[in-house]
Amino acid sequence: MGIHVSKNQKITAFLLFGFSLFYFFSSLRLKLGTFKNPGPGLIPLGIGVLLLLCTGFYLARVLRAGPPGKKKQEQGPRGEKNYLAIFGILGCTLAYPFLLEYGKFIVSTFAVAYVMLVLLKPSRTLFSFFLALGMAVGSFLIFSLLLGVALPSGFLENLLFRIGG
Amino acid sequence: MLEIAQSLLHGFSLALTPLYLYYALIGAILGTIVGVLPGLGPLGAMAILLSFTLKLDATGAMILFAGIYYGAMYGGSTTSILLNIPGEAASVVTCIDGYQMAQKGRAGAALTVSAVGSFIAGTISILGLMGVALFLADIALRFGPPEFFAIGVCGLALLVRLSEGSPLQAFIMILLGMALATVGVDFLTGIERFTFGIHELGQGIDFLPVAMGIFGIAEVLNTVEQREFIQSVRKVSLKELLPTRQEWRRSFPPMFRGSVLGFIIGLVPGPSPVIATFVSYISEKRLSSTPEEFGKGAIEGVAGPEAANNAAVGGAYVPLFALGIPFTPAMAIVLGTLMLHGLTPGPNLIKTKPDLFWAVIASMYIGNFMLLVLNLPLVNVFVSILKVPRNILLPIIVLICLIGVYTVNSSSLDLLMLAVFGYIGYALRGVGFPVAPLILAMVIGPMLETSLRQSLNITGGNLADMIFRPICLTMYSIVGVTFILPPVLRFFGRGHLPGRSGPGKNRLE
Repeated sequence: MGIHVSKNQKITAFLLFGFSLFYFFSSLRLKLGTFKNPGPGLIPLGIGVLLLLCTGFYLARVLRAGPPGKKKQEQGPRGEKNYLAIFGILGCTLAYPFLLEYGKFIVSTFAVAYVMLVLLKPSRTLFSFFLALGMAVGSFLIFSLLLGVALPSGFLENLLFRIGG
Repeated sequence: MLEIAQSLLHGFSLALTPLYLYYALIGAILGTIVGVLPGLGPLGAMAILLSFTLKLDATGAMILFAGIYYGAMYGGSTTSILLNIPGEAASVVTCIDGYQMAQKGRAGAALTVSAVGSFIAGTISILGLMGVALFLADIALRFGPPEFFAIGVCGLALLVRLSEGSPLQAFIMILLGMALATVGVDFLTGIERFTFGIHELGQGIDFLPVAMGIFGIAEVLNTVEQREFIQSVRKVSLKELLPTRQEWRRSFPPMFRGSVLGFIIGLVPGPSPVIATFVSYISEKRLSSTPEEFGKGAIEGVAGPEAANNAAVGGAYVPLFALGIPFTPAMAIVLGTLMLHGLTPGPNLIKTKPDLFWAVIASMYIGNFMLLVLNLPLVNVFVSILKVPRNILLPIIVLICLIGVYTVNSSSLDLLMLAVFGYIGYALRGVGFPVAPLILAMVIGPMLETSLRQSLNITGGNLADMIFRPICLTMYSIVGVTFILPPVLRFFGRGHLPGRSGPGKNRLE
């Protein structure tokens, strides 16, 4: 019985091997010391060598394998993937730190929540708008007023602070 | 013995304070909710709530997490029995006979047996935890760096064998976790490693965004691609909850057997609650005089596994409290929490922080009792949580992760780490890599490095001196047997050990 792998497995194997190479060569720049008196680079070098061997072996195994079976290619067990929602949520988490810097807490939290809600249920945009607004204001009230966490504040946040006393 | 009883009483006096009772209750309720919800397990819930525990004291945080862990085991069985949907992995086995019992109109009996079994198992495992942890911690005080290194290596090696996916994939994950743990200033020389001029990385990669990314964000992304189950929820009346006398008689022996078995399996590294349920189910079927009933609604098939998964939770706490080494991913999160609270887990913890240890033990009793009292009457309420639409639940979880990570250090880098590790966790799981070993290795990586470097210093670089010590030799022998025995057994055609047929393996072969 042959081994079958998907394109994603091949990409992952390449990335893991690339990371191993990078880690291995970076560890060579650290002072190794001796076995009797190990330096800061000895353990990372050991990890780097093992990583390189294992990811290299995995890459070789994946490259030797054939493409996935016809059945697997046609339809995954979980059905059609919602790539837009997956990458949208991921984009939201990546964009949040930048939004937070310029838009402050409520605007950025609202924006991120709204985009996620729309991506997961595109048919209910108005409902999503008010729900996202509720989430942003609610989380601000819970974290800032109730738990006393210092959150990035602007005009809206200060206004809420005044209303909340 | 008298000292233990006094310490336990002191623990109860602490755990019964309103604040700790409140944390135990919140933990039990949250745990039951995440247990009911398919996809989000106790691990994800603990990772998501990690940042919030910084607002609590260490004892409060431990009590909350213990409640979540136990609660998830209780909650998972509810949906398994009523809807044939396992809320989390340790409840998969309960679906087999639990759902069949529900189909025959005995859902209430199955739920009661499951809850009582979980309570008995919880109590037995807490007694075991007390005895074994105290005994082991006393012995561990005499351990030196070579012993700690050997125990850590043995734990990780067993994890490689028992994790889902192929052993090679699990080993790569462990090495990745160890590599991440080396980032930051070297504790002995003060030299920066792998920081690449980024000042914030000097303190190392924070455990919090990595855990929340890999178990929180990745879980959300994983759930997005799964089909949503909209089930009509079957109501169970209070009258239905009482099992018959014969059902009780058939349930008690499996409950006790499952408790002992679960506790012992809980001591082994890996997803012990899941393994415990399978082992218990198989042994109950073998011991039964009516094995043909299994799969068709045998109450032993519910009582044994449900007791086993709860007992394994108690067992999993033993290496953490006694040695400061987590053997399961959930315990890695607990260890991370202790470290975030400035505590150094290890054999000294019980001696230096007796209040924490005994209050947590006492709160486990209380939490188990709360779960027994809450779960049965409120079964319909908990099951109705499944009606909350996923498109509302998932953005809330993402927001909790984002805000939770930000509130700790107000750092944009932490948020970026959360997103990056969220994607890494999602991608790796998508191709069959088990991500739990990565977190475990990241947590115990610094301890392993410290003990290895100290060992080399002590022994003057002589590896034989590090290996040929009674405890070290035992540990390395276990590692050897774990890796050599399966191929040898396969060679002679006698079968194979569990842990070789995970999803990753299936994808590759």
